[in-house]
Amino acid sequence: MSSLTIADLVINDLAKIVGRAHVGYTDTDVEGFNINGVVPVIAVSPGSPEEVAAVLGLANEFQLVVATAGGLTKQQTGGVPERIDIMLSTTRMNKIEQYDPGDLTISVAAGMPFAQMQARLFEHHQWVPCDAANLETATVGGLMATAAAGPLKSAFGHMRDFCIGVQFVTADGKVVKGGGRVVKNVAGYDLMKLLTGSFGSLAVITRVNFKVFPRPRQTRTFLCPFGSLDEALQFRTRIFQSPLTPMCLEIISPRAPEYLGDPGPVEDPDHYMPSHPVALPAAEWQIALRAAGSDNVLARYARELGGAVGRALEGAAEEQLWKWISHFEPSVLARHRNAMVIYTHLPIQAVGATLQAMERAASDYNLIPAAVGRAATGNLVLAFVPLSVDPPSAMQYANCVSAFRGMLPPGCSAEVAQCPTEAKMHFDVWGTTPTDVSMMRAVKRAIDPNNILNRGRFIV
Amino acid sequence: MDSSILRQLKKIAGKDAVLDRQEELMLYEYDAGVDKHRPGAVIFPQNAQQVSQIMRLASEKKVPVVPRGAGTGLSGGAIARREAIVLSLARMNKILEIDTANQRAVVQPGVVNLELSNATAKYGYYYAPDPSSQKACTIGGNVAENSGGPHTLALGVTVNHVTGLEVVLPDGRIVEFGGKAQDSTGLDLTGFFVGSEGTMGVVTKITVKLTKLPEHVTTLLGIYNTVEDAANTVVAITQSGVTPAALEMLDGWMVRCVEANVHAGYPEDAAAVLLIELEGMREAVEEQAEAVSAVCMQQKAREVRRARDEKQRQLLWLGRKTAFGAVGRVSPSYYTQDGVIPRTKVPYTLAEIERISKKYGLIIGNVFHAGDGNLHPLILFDSRDPQQAENSRKAAKEIMACCLKFGGSITGEHGVGLEKIGLMTAMFTEDDLEVMVRLRNAFNPESILNPQKMIPDLHFCREITGPLPKAKVEPVGGIPV
Repeated sequence: MSSLTIADLVINDLAKIVGRAHVGYTDTDVEGFNINGVVPVIAVSPGSPEEVAAVLGLANEFQLVVATAGGLTKQQTGGVPERIDIMLSTTRMNKIEQYDPGDLTISVAAGMPFAQMQARLFEHHQWVPCDAANLETATVGGLMATAAAGPLKSAFGHMRDFCIGVQFVTADGKVVKGGGRVVKNVAGYDLMKLLTGSFGSLAVITRVNFKVFPRPRQTRTFLCPFGSLDEALQFRTRIFQSPLTPMCLEIISPRAPEYLGDPGPVEDPDHYMPSHPVALPAAEWQIALRAAGSDNVLARYARELGGAVGRALEGAAEEQLWKWISHFEPSVLARHRNAMVIYTHLPIQAVGATLQAMERAASDYNLIPAAVGRAATGNLVLAFVPLSVDPPSAMQYANCVSAFRGMLPPGCSAEVAQCPTEAKMHFDVWGTTPTDVSMMRAVKRAIDPNNILNRGRFIV
Repeated sequence: MDSSILRQLKKIAGKDAVLDRQEELMLYEYDAGVDKHRPGAVIFPQNAQQVSQIMRLASEKKVPVVPRGAGTGLSGGAIARREAIVLSLARMNKILEIDTANQRAVVQPGVVNLELSNATAKYGYYYAPDPSSQKACTIGGNVAENSGGPHTLALGVTVNHVTGLEVVLPDGRIVEFGGKAQDSTGLDLTGFFVGSEGTMGVVTKITVKLTKLPEHVTTLLGIYNTVEDAANTVVAITQSGVTPAALEMLDGWMVRCVEANVHAGYPEDAAAVLLIELEGMREAVEEQAEAVSAVCMQQKAREVRRARDEKQRQLLWLGRKTAFGAVGRVSPSYYTQDGVIPRTKVPYTLAEIERISKKYGLIIGNVFHAGDGNLHPLILFDSRDPQQAENSRKAAKEIMACCLKFGGSITGEHGVGLEKIGLMTAMFTEDDLEVMVRLRNAFNPESILNPQKMIPDLHFCREITGPLPKAKVEPVGGIPV
């Protein structure tokens, strides 16, 4: 079936469902949804879960492949799509549906930018403790679908731990819900866990209910420099064994500070040019520890950490530092279009071996390594930056990834979140996982039997 | 039970690992809930390979299998409905590994919840979820039910503490989900499996998070002259920005009942008490204790006491954790509810329960996890009096209807099981349930494993309730208790 035929077949039906103004098929309508070089035939923007259901029902009937878009911050992650017939954008569904500060729960339509919801919660000194990148544009549904997280994951967990209810539309056009609006609930299967991190492959998320938390009124950040990775990790062990309960515990590799600051004008995104090539000690690892509490509590932190602290930050400077840490990946990609970014899931004792594996694999393949990550949960963000004098071939990325994965201790998984599209055909961006893949596929078949959702992009 | 099946079961697990005499099977008729059915056989496998062989045999012969932990469940999840095999995990009770460096433990499903905390305390760690039955209930059972407990307010329920599972599927395949890492690439089947009430697979190995023991713990007892003041305090503490480790409430009737049983030190003339626990760094705990005391007094507490020492603190908790047993001493039967409501609705709901209690002339005691809105009204009745038994069911339905009216849930931590299966249609639409059935079928296509639990047979429930509403309260009628 050629693209033109698909458009001819369903365009009028789609227009009837969502209104003509919300269906696009010209180049300008669809070019913005380019995913790894694949452009959708039609872009459609439903205004309600019922409209989503009607769109998916139609797509399922004609076996059209559908991808879902929110704020477009993570669309390049995953395999190259086989094709995209319909790009379904959730951004018209963007209201707060219910918020009762006294109950500490909020219900939000999936297309709402996360920061807008957060601003509303801030008015009541509450928040959903998620500090992933690009929260101004990333939508609530998109963050859930990609299980996005930032440094706050150390203390609070991530979307799976905050989400208490979800409404979604299945591939065959059923509006379904799981959970509810109360913080404790075991009625029915935990569909919130299933959809968190499902990358649009199981259903289209249309509404999310969160439990929210009181927002700390005072925090302080202690930046602790170390001469080696080993020393930094020994310090981490000391923190684990102490009574301290930090809100964030982030490890920062020697080259990462390059990307934790104002990016400045990007002249050539293919060109690696450190801004301070000699000023930076190449071996300095840092741990950034963020604590919340009263003056007494923060004074205790200062006492316990003692001489390890290089700098303490508060207020605007502190906020800025954490924004930069959250924004590490987009900063790297803004500077180096062809950089590769890997996310890891590790037992916490594997953090050291993993960072060593990164440095080793990077140097073997002539790439520059930089990393930030949650030292307390093993969720690291690793960047491999190509040198402009020696642009890597597509195969070189693939070889670097397999060398890196080969050095990981057992029980670890590492997915390639970003890399040039040309490299993706040479290896599996998702890699192996300790979780049984045949059961993941069985779950996928159970709710999307025709495989119309995000075909070719996720593990299932 | 077919004698050839019994013979094969004995061959798999050993002669001394299979029960089939009626007097032995009687012991496996019930759990801690209200339903009762006698199974066809009970088998005690000792490893995952035996579980796999049992499942393969059962699938081949189409015999239902019901996994069972300690039988402390309150929703009938471990009751074997027909001629079924009860698969007891009681003999798979080893702690396989305590890995404090990675803050994990790997256990077999039959390990008793409290034993794990006791085993790890010497390293400065514990296992956080603490159901009231923690001295008896098993971690495998906790995984099946996604169990809660008083201390899950700040730290989360079972699913927030499980990172890896080894599961035997109904066809006998042994599969792994997750591991020691916090999460892994791909779908979160670990999280999805927790709370599936034995309808997807049999857990044979569990990797759990170990939590650092807090530096300091303190317990406050807020004493109130009215239930309403206590309920308002719950709302006020939630809004104050302090998240206690636990926030429990007992009403006056429960207080007297508990005091008669264990002398926990609750004042017998109180209309309600709040048990508030704060834990963490010493400085933070001290400040929070002051802040919480002030909130209690603003909300008209008669008095706020603070446990002087660990002994007194343990005594206060003993009162809470033995509350259900205390009720058993004074009433021939009681019916435990597990409704959840938004926290701001606690005062109104308690008033509503009081009204229902008067309407049916039944004592309803309240002891519950106030901090997360998880109510446990205990309806007292004498099961020998048919009128009282009938009224207790009606009262329970009205309480559930009240929870649902406020957008709450029919179960916060006890599970759906057999007991609340008829209520599922009051919370979920036919489409919601149909998707759950499809997901279950991906794991358990022929419903060999724990059949007719948790998710109602859609055809059946349509017949008894008529056309399904979009999650409205009314069709609660006709629910078997």
